[in-house]
Amino acid sequence: MFLQDLLFRLRALFRHPAVENELDDELRFHLEQQTAKYMKSGMSEAEAARRARLEFGGLDQIKDGCREARGVSLIESLVQDLRYSARTLLHSPAFTASAVLTLALGIGANTAIFSVVNQVLLNPLPYPNPEELLTARQNDALPNLKDLQHQTNSFVSSGGVNISPMDFAGNGEPVRVHAAWVDGGLFATLGVQPMQGRWISAAEDVKGGPRNVVVSYSFWRDFLGADPHVLGRAIRLSDNSFTVIGVMPRNFSLPRELADVYLALWVGYPEAAPERVVHFMHTYWRLKPGVQLAQAQADITRADRRLAEAFPDPERERNTVLIPLHEFLVGNVRPALLVLFGAVGLVLLIACANFAMLLMARAVTRQRELMIRASLGARNGRLIRQRLTESTLLSLVGGAAGLLAAKAGTTLLLALKPAELRHWTAIPMDGRVFAFVFAISLLTGLLFGLLPAWSASRGDLAEALRENARTTATGVSRSPLRSFLVTAELALALVLLAGAGLLIKGFLRLRSVNPGFNPANVITMYLQLPGTRYPKIPMQNNFRRELLARINASPGVQAAMITDLPLAGNDVDHRVVIEGQQPPAVGTEPLVQTLSVMGNYFGVMQIPVRLGRDFTELDREGQPRAVIVNETFVRQLLPGQDPIGSRINWARNDDPNAWMTIVGVAGDVKHFGLNQPVDPAVYEPFSQNDEAWRKWMTLVIRTKLPQAAVVEDVKKQVWSMDSQIPVSAIQSMDDLLAVSVAEQRFNMLLLVCFAALAVALAGVGIYGMVAYRVNQRTHEIGVYIALGAQRRDVLRLVMKDGVRLALLGIVLGLAGATALTRVMVSLLFEVKPTDPATLLGVALLLAAIALLACYIPARRALSIHPVTALRCE
Amino acid sequence: MPSRSIDLPQGTLDLLILRTLSLEPLHGWAVSERIQQISSDVLRVQQGSLYPALHRLERRGWIKARWGTSENNRKAKFYELTKAGRRQLEIEQDAWQKLTTAVSQILEIT
Repeated sequence: MFLQDLLFRLRALFRHPAVENELDDELRFHLEQQTAKYMKSGMSEAEAARRARLEFGGLDQIKDGCREARGVSLIESLVQDLRYSARTLLHSPAFTASAVLTLALGIGANTAIFSVVNQVLLNPLPYPNPEELLTARQNDALPNLKDLQHQTNSFVSSGGVNISPMDFAGNGEPVRVHAAWVDGGLFATLGVQPMQGRWISAAEDVKGGPRNVVVSYSFWRDFLGADPHVLGRAIRLSDNSFTVIGVMPRNFSLPRELADVYLALWVGYPEAAPERVVHFMHTYWRLKPGVQLAQAQADITRADRRLAEAFPDPERERNTVLIPLHEFLVGNVRPALLVLFGAVGLVLLIACANFAMLLMARAVTRQRELMIRASLGARNGRLIRQRLTESTLLSLVGGAAGLLAAKAGTTLLLALKPAELRHWTAIPMDGRVFAFVFAISLLTGLLFGLLPAWSASRGDLAEALRENARTTATGVSRSPLRSFLVTAELALALVLLAGAGLLIKGFLRLRSVNPGFNPANVITMYLQLPGTRYPKIPMQNNFRRELLARINASPGVQAAMITDLPLAGNDVDHRVVIEGQQPPAVGTEPLVQTLSVMGNYFGVMQIPVRLGRDFTELDREGQPRAVIVNETFVRQLLPGQDPIGSRINWARNDDPNAWMTIVGVAGDVKHFGLNQPVDPAVYEPFSQNDEAWRKWMTLVIRTKLPQAAVVEDVKKQVWSMDSQIPVSAIQSMDDLLAVSVAEQRFNMLLLVCFAALAVALAGVGIYGMVAYRVNQRTHEIGVYIALGAQRRDVLRLVMKDGVRLALLGIVLGLAGATALTRVMVSLLFEVKPTDPATLLGVALLLAAIALLACYIPARRALSIHPVTALRCE
Repeated sequence: MPSRSIDLPQGTLDLLILRTLSLEPLHGWAVSERIQQISSDVLRVQQGSLYPALHRLERRGWIKARWGTSENNRKAKFYELTKAGRRQLEIEQDAWQKLTTAVSQILEIT
């Protein structure tokens, strides 16, 4: 029974033409028989045929009934509708292209952003059981980490890492590589196995442990020639020989750090390993199964308190805050991504509104066909279904085109990506992205296809028919749906425009922030002296002095150096005490940035010295220690006091000769970014610094000469002094500044793109509406002109509706914008989300564009010749 | 047309078709003619429901169709009852009898 039913359905489906022909034959036979019967009873042939047909009823309807009875009608009519839709769509390429293009833009932009959201916010981190991974907001020192590990029991394991540069002397130029100094627990915590060899064991992570190193995949490939027998091979890092014991897999990276080689902290930097004060490791923690974050936090807080009691001097202010690793990594980008995702959703809505209007216009031009099909007995439901098939077909094609657009779009996004996204080197399109595209395409097609179809079946179509027949003299098409769509489009466009305007304003404000130095024509380069050959401060300073002298000997070049460059993201902080002030409790002294400089640093960077004097050649070894502080230092730590001549010292420095005299006050420099507050800072000459671990320096060179030539020359000078020292991080101050605002630029550019897209789509929407109405009222306008109407009267007549809807949309959009831009607060720099000037500006801009979009088609009305218009009748 | 003709009650069309075809194989037009004749023009079959009904019964396997030649030598689609159709006819006849008996009993209460 079931089998028979199936065969029957399949026959109907696959032998479709034959079955349809049989149905035709059968029904025609019936009509003939009936006609013959009436003729026998004496009617004329025509009369009999007419009578038979009348009795028979709607042929289409009966056929539909039969198809339905055969149980295949749904699939069959779908196939039929699809074929029909494809055919009619191919016959009107202009309509099809504009509909597909509109949707491709909307869906493509959404898919691109969704791919990013999917990859960054939705996909889990690439570690096993990533939900168990936590990180601490604060850095910590290795001994503290070990103590916390022993005194807590919420964690399976934990580990720490510090990234420091090391020099790799392979073949060719020496290079600076990123070394991860780790503790043995790190890899057990992250749970990733090396591709080859093994990880550094806990037994090796001790004082005097073996010089073993694990290398990253890219280091292995680029510097070790992807040697398959690399295990056991010796490599030289910063003048020491290390044995390769493992290679990490290709897709492995540390959660927040970039690293080329991994070695135990005890081996890489034994001086710092036992120091509690040196809080320089990022720490990672893996929860035991079933342990909640709150329990773990309580656990670690207890351990913190014990540590603070045991070591009150450096650890008094311990307050380790644990946070899920994923949250830590994406927390900062989430608001921006969600705002962008919301914005791009509005773009799609506008695209959909245009799509719906295109469908409505098409319904009107196809009214004859629809009328004929309706009068042949095609039921309303069937007609709607047919139109839905058409709109869904269009939206799916649009979605496919959108997918291609999104592919290109994500490549573009990656090129623009801010630093927070740097870990995502590719944005793959996975099943979820495809499902997303399919779902929004289908939804768009059904929903926005249904809207006009439903509205047409409710009388808009009838109205349109009447209008076209010109039976009503004032037949003005005021389709409420179309008006609604145009208004909504403009309102949405205004919201986007407001968002973009606010971001632009915020960005301009940010860019106009004075960084405190003049970035133009400054090249920077990073150098680090290997501790093996430059262990003592005098050797280091001899090198520095000699290098600066050689570079400054070239004409057109002014060079100086500093430890940590502004905007480069690093600094060293010291706790400071001030002579004559009551010292705060031990461990709570104020933290200040400590920067060592050599040469005319303030002159090269054009940082103004506001008070006192600049450093001179005399501020050197054996002389009284001189420092320059920044304005924030004076404001925060020496309020109401003459800073010049005040003396400061590092906290808990018992050496009486270590007191430093403030000789000058320099202008504030935005060390951590244009939107970040300035910390108190102390500059001291390299030559008076007594910390031998300050082995690194950044050259700053002001020159108008071509950058490449200067860089080559500097490299030559460095290598003529020491051929083993890499010159790295070569970048101009302008580039550093641009990178520091890359995230804001990224958000702004994207939102501006979306707003432009939205405004273009809304403009097309209102243009289409006015053009359509001009077309509809050609006759009326002709009469109007014939009666002596002036240009402005005609323009007013045809533009009135469009302009009114546009203004309504803009007003509604303003209301929406004041409500919605609030979500952008965290993205804005010194701009209120309801900034009146911006809102007013974008409203005027949109009004002007809307006016233009009304005017262009309206102008066509002016050229209507009364006689031609009347002849159309 | 005679004003005394009535439309078929819901659900009876299948029964009438099966019954009509139980006498001999017929094409669609003849089925409708036959029902009208036998009922002395009281029952009129709407073509709009006749053909969908025929196709439905065919799908259920109660009748089967084959193309043959009509009395006036035209190609026509003839329907005939299958074994399953015969069983179905008995079931439906039985049900109809019960229904009409019950209905008339109620109507005859005075």
